[in-house]
Amino acid sequence: MEPSDDRDLTHVLREWKAPGAPATLSARVFGERIPWWRWLFAGTIRVPVPVAVAVALLLVAWAYTRLPATAPLKEAEPTVSLADFEPVPQLEPRVVGEFK
Amino acid sequence: MNQTAFQSAFDEHKDAVFRFAWRMVGPDFAEDIAQDVFLTLLRHPERFDPTRGTLRAFLLGVARNLALKRWRDTHRWDPLDDEAFMTPAIDPTQGETAEIVGAAVRTLPPLQREALILAEYEELSLDEIARAVDAEVGTVKSRLHRARQNLKRLLAPIRPSFLERSPHGTV
Repeated sequence: MEPSDDRDLTHVLREWKAPGAPATLSARVFGERIPWWRWLFAGTIRVPVPVAVAVALLLVAWAYTRLPATAPLKEAEPTVSLADFEPVPQLEPRVVGEFK
Repeated sequence: MNQTAFQSAFDEHKDAVFRFAWRMVGPDFAEDIAQDVFLTLLRHPERFDPTRGTLRAFLLGVARNLALKRWRDTHRWDPLDDEAFMTPAIDPTQGETAEIVGAAVRTLPPLQREALILAEYEELSLDEIARAVDAEVGTVKSRLHRARQNLKRLLAPIRPSFLERSPHGTV
């Protein structure tokens, strides 16, 4: 490796400038409290993937148990065959009980 | 460490820590890492041993560990230092020189990148880098050498002289 080559590289690398620390870093390190309502709009929480998957599965299971049970299939009504039907030869109505 | 000493350390080193994190992981997570570095110092000041190096090198070492942890979370199966690293093509028409250089540095494998950033931008000595990254001086030298060679190949489209003088000749 040639030293002049490294100097050229260093020169080129120095063109990439990084910004200084933002003012918000001080607030974060020294614990200036953020109002809770602002957290509701801009806050984030980190959830491990296994926990997220477990919660999702629990929600699916809970939703499944809350579904209305499907109605049982109605039993087919017995069919009536009139093949052996025979009319009554003579109707003899008989009144049971008394007329008032 | 009392509050005054901590405030003084924060004021003195916040820019170096943030710059290092910004170059290592990008703008989205640099502030998170810088915050964690100083909270580590606040909660565990006994971890800094002045006989083993400067506070700046210690803080950059903590930042380095946090940056690598974040990298591992997203690149679980990628090697940290790929000796067979293939330099991808860089489009010289894509942005200013600074952007091209930034993209090239961020392309390097993490162990080469951190050695290069600590040496070229934070101007740490080889001993300080070795302590910060918990490696031998020879290992750091080797990583720096590979990082520089890779960068010369990556930046050849905007500085053809790097390619002509490269010991490897062509890409």
